[in-house]
Amino acid sequence: MKKKIISCVMASAMAMSAFAACSGTTEPEVLETAGPAPTADATNAAGEEVFSEDAILDMTMFSAMPGNEINSGNDIQERIAELTGVRVKETWLTGQTAQEAVGSIIASGDLPDFIDGGDGMAQLYDAGLLVAWDPYIEEYPNLKELYSDAEWEMFRQDDGHIYWANVFCNSYGEPKATGHNDEAFWIQVRVLEWAGYPEIKTLDQYFDLIESYVDANPTMENGTKNIGYTCLCDDWRYFCIENAGQFLAGYPNDGSVIVNLTDYDKPTIEDYNTTQITHDYLKKLNEVYNAGYMDIDFATQTYDEYIQKLSTGAVLGMCDQYWDFAYSIAGPYAEQGLDKMGCDYVPLGLVADGITEQQWHAYGDTLNNSSGCAVTTSCEDPAAAFQFLSRILDQEIHDLRFWGIQGEDYLVDDDGLFYRTEEMRANWKDETFKANHCCTYSYMPQWLGTSHDGINAMQPQEQASEYYAGLAEPFANCLKAYNAGGLPDMIGSVKGVEMGFWYPMYSYSNSMTTETAGGVAWERMGTTKHEWLPKVVMSTNFDADWASYMDAYAACKPEDFLAEMQEELDRRVEMGNANS
Amino acid sequence: MFDNKRKLPTSEWVFIICNTVFLVLFAIVTLYPVLNTVAYSFNDGSDALLGGIHLLPRKFSMKSYNVVVNKEGMLVGAKITVLRTILGTVFSLAANAVLSFILSRKRFVFKSGLSLFWVITMYANGGMIPVMLLYRSLGLTASFWVYVIPGAVSAFNIMVMRTFMAGIPDSFEESAQLDGAGYATIFLKVISPLCKPVYATIALFVAVYQWNSWFDAMLYNRLNPEYTTLQYELMKLLSSVANQGGNGNAGGKTEAAAQTITGITVRSAATVLTMLPIICLYPFLQNYFVTGLTIGGVKE
Amino acid sequence: MVLILWLPLFFKEDQCTMSKRKTAELDITKVKLTKKEFKRQWGLIFVAALYVIYGIVFYYLPLGGWIMAFQNYKLKTGLFHSKFVGLAKFKFLFEDDRFIRVIRNTLAMGIINLAVTFVTAIAFAILLNEVQSRWFKKTIQTISYLPHFLSWIIVCGIIHDSLSSTGIINEILLNTHILSKPYNFFAHPNWFWPIVAFSNVWKETGWNAIIYFAAITAIDPALYEAAAIDGAGRFQRIWYVTLPSIKPTIMILLLMNIGNVINAGFEVQYILGNGLVQRVSETIDIYILQFGVGNMDYSLGTAAGIFKTAVSIVLIFIFNQIAKSQGDEHLF
Repeated sequence: MKKKIISCVMASAMAMSAFAACSGTTEPEVLETAGPAPTADATNAAGEEVFSEDAILDMTMFSAMPGNEINSGNDIQERIAELTGVRVKETWLTGQTAQEAVGSIIASGDLPDFIDGGDGMAQLYDAGLLVAWDPYIEEYPNLKELYSDAEWEMFRQDDGHIYWANVFCNSYGEPKATGHNDEAFWIQVRVLEWAGYPEIKTLDQYFDLIESYVDANPTMENGTKNIGYTCLCDDWRYFCIENAGQFLAGYPNDGSVIVNLTDYDKPTIEDYNTTQITHDYLKKLNEVYNAGYMDIDFATQTYDEYIQKLSTGAVLGMCDQYWDFAYSIAGPYAEQGLDKMGCDYVPLGLVADGITEQQWHAYGDTLNNSSGCAVTTSCEDPAAAFQFLSRILDQEIHDLRFWGIQGEDYLVDDDGLFYRTEEMRANWKDETFKANHCCTYSYMPQWLGTSHDGINAMQPQEQASEYYAGLAEPFANCLKAYNAGGLPDMIGSVKGVEMGFWYPMYSYSNSMTTETAGGVAWERMGTTKHEWLPKVVMSTNFDADWASYMDAYAACKPEDFLAEMQEELDRRVEMGNANS
Repeated sequence: MFDNKRKLPTSEWVFIICNTVFLVLFAIVTLYPVLNTVAYSFNDGSDALLGGIHLLPRKFSMKSYNVVVNKEGMLVGAKITVLRTILGTVFSLAANAVLSFILSRKRFVFKSGLSLFWVITMYANGGMIPVMLLYRSLGLTASFWVYVIPGAVSAFNIMVMRTFMAGIPDSFEESAQLDGAGYATIFLKVISPLCKPVYATIALFVAVYQWNSWFDAMLYNRLNPEYTTLQYELMKLLSSVANQGGNGNAGGKTEAAAQTITGITVRSAATVLTMLPIICLYPFLQNYFVTGLTIGGVKE
Repeated sequence: MVLILWLPLFFKEDQCTMSKRKTAELDITKVKLTKKEFKRQWGLIFVAALYVIYGIVFYYLPLGGWIMAFQNYKLKTGLFHSKFVGLAKFKFLFEDDRFIRVIRNTLAMGIINLAVTFVTAIAFAILLNEVQSRWFKKTIQTISYLPHFLSWIIVCGIIHDSLSSTGIINEILLNTHILSKPYNFFAHPNWFWPIVAFSNVWKETGWNAIIYFAAITAIDPALYEAAAIDGAGRFQRIWYVTLPSIKPTIMILLLMNIGNVINAGFEVQYILGNGLVQRVSETIDIYILQFGVGNMDYSLGTAAGIFKTAVSIVLIFIFNQIAKSQGDEHLF
């Protein structure tokens, strides 16, 4: 269930939003052609053509994700409004699931102009409340170049129109990623340093290293007891224990299943929950647990407690997605100087046999077609709305959104490279500053990768110079010792594997409902795994409990689920072949 | 109540001491989470992530309060919240009291049927979507009145009040009737003055409910910032920093949880700030049910 | 403006019906609707009718949404055009072992919570009432109701912390050598229901006691004086004066809460639960969220809602009749 999309969301400089009055509702109409869009009506002090306050349209957007509202009068939002003639007030998910929120918005009849329905996107389409992108894709090159024709086809709904475009994980030009924003078995650099930077390829080596480190160093310098390994099992985050099986077998993150490519033209769906590799992995955890090197609260800790534990620097290793822990522990790490004590985590690309090539790291873009940015039929001026979506992709405004105002938020060196001072970096981490100053329109179309200038990254977190500027010494030493330029090198996944049209399969399993037998099975498998995975790890009789687990698992009828996944895979492969 | 000068037997002393000790212990146990919340609210956000804060902040910081106070929409939200708390409480109290009065008349012909009618409303509800459609057709969405009108009559409050009113001796009503009083007079002049404790209780319940409500603001006024409420603004702030309780599920459907969670201190500060006004209100209402009620007037 | 609607209450009963009523006073359990009674009570009836209209609009009309339970409801087609599927949704629920299990969990936790929160609130109110000092009384009361204002996330966070292997409870148990190694309370299903019950007591005792304070306040001090003169001790006064005086309030709250045992809650179980104890922790509401709303299946959620309502109303009817036959205060 790992979501590449989340990682992209996280990596893109966090959610911001805007402020404006709401717009009224109009009768829905389907526009087949793009209408005229507004034009600038004034000039500012610098002589640029800008929109006067009267000419600026106020629009609204709802994103079915939690996020931070920004304040009215936000500097960059006002600047963008001047340039584009549109100001968007963003609102976010609060205390509901995405589907509930979208359901209540539809029932209330009070729709925003823009919407990203998340998991509830399909409901909006079902209710016929979205405006088709098609004519505007043709009209605005900025929008069209977001995706290749084949990729756009992925967004086409069964009525033949495109209603939304996913805005994340989309690189312009060369990808610039320096981090490993995916899943891995993580280990603290101090452990590697202590052992003289050995090569770790298998689970056995990984846990042997951790165990011998704990034996030699039961506590940290400050007296805190070292915890060898912990594993989050809380709610949907139980992927931390559930997901390793597919990676250890050398497969990429399809989330819910493995796609076997032995016959490339006829890929097949396989279940990784019942494989020998998964069995061995859990058995290993069971041994480690019983030997006392694993956190005894691992199965019952909440996410908050997990983050607390990691924040003390005492946990030597765990399996998790980068975005699930790294952003949260960065603050406490800096505060306590833990990064200087070598408590930073680096990813290891483990495989079951130590030989198979692995795909923990996802190079390139992942297209998730299940949700995205859409314009609703309540929008009074769809032409202006789409023009706005196009305008904010102009490099000048894109830079405003993600880098800020030149001179205030970033500087440019002689080679044209953007950089920030410590103060600027701190500002962009400060919530109050961000609410008053920054406006990323984070759920609207955007780019990763390389800027049009060919030098800089589209978004600061991908700027290599910015990345290295923030590394602590033990971390940098570790990268050097392994001769790695960044975390992708560190984990060493196979590069350049062309992902098939089906990838990622989780975009389908996530949208399953109880209306199909497969959806029911999927829900039941989830429940069963939630209970049994920690149980077998904590077991005193692994083999017997594993057998009981397999019985319980089989009772969920996973074959129903797999059959539906196979159907969808065939459909995707066929569609891919038709388009290429 | 009793003559304190009279010498108390030993067993009484034992009881008084045990009771006092027990109540003090109970107070300490219940006060702990509150003090803990206050401590967190004054602690630095990322330091709080380490846990282990009990009664005192470890690294003092007012930043969380700053974040809460500076949140846009707080002012409008506070205004609307105060307004709905006052209007809602007055309106609801009056509405409930009148119906309770009717239901507590022993001779009222539809007493049983009408009670049943209201009791059922406590357990049956049509779900979010039908309610939404109804409010929309009544013009209650995108308006302030959605906070006051729909919830005004509540079966729970009616039953509590009715029971209280039914406990008032009939002789009060009868003597008033003999003096020629109608129902309104009996209600206003005879029953209501005796109902101060229960009125205060229900007023407290309604006021707290109104004060803490945010879900209705979100459902019906999501895109109308002019009708936002204090608690809704706080909820927005909180769900942007931490995402728990009610959102996630086994399918891994809730994505945004990976925000930096400096949430606990902000959440605590928000809790403390919203608790304060209600805590200040309490002692005034409390007077009505801490002191014994002197039933003057009619002596039988 | 709305107040105008209450005007009929201001009309007086005429004197002549008044005097006649005197004789009928003895039997007031059931008053028949006769012309005479109508004439006498029309003010009350008129106002009550307004309330009925209000109730129908705001509480009974939305029940039309129950039709969703018998449909395959889709937002697109709405209430009026979705496909009818009969009892298929109910069939799905009752054929699912997990639903049967969540009913058991819900009822078990509902009943345990009701029992303990009820007893503690009454006991607390009575014990506090025995305190002489007004200052002490007020202070304790104020403190006791504060946790009500904390969210479940905060309270459950503290409970989870205290019971973790490094928490205070384990620390005490280890230091007193009751345990030799830390015990993980949340990994054992047996502990889950007691922990939930304790959480409820902790957070809500003071708040729940407020109604009883109000009821105790209304007790005529003369009753205590009379009891004291008769030589009643403290416990006897509590038993023979306080408890009987607040019994109607206790009965009414008990009846209303019995109807609510099927609503054992969502948040506490959701926050404190985990995979290892899910067999005992999941309530109907969690099930609905996961299976109904989480999957856009509004119909399934509605079906489960109807089931809950049915259980509540059956329980209410049974216990109301029992109370009635015992001559106790009853709801209707």
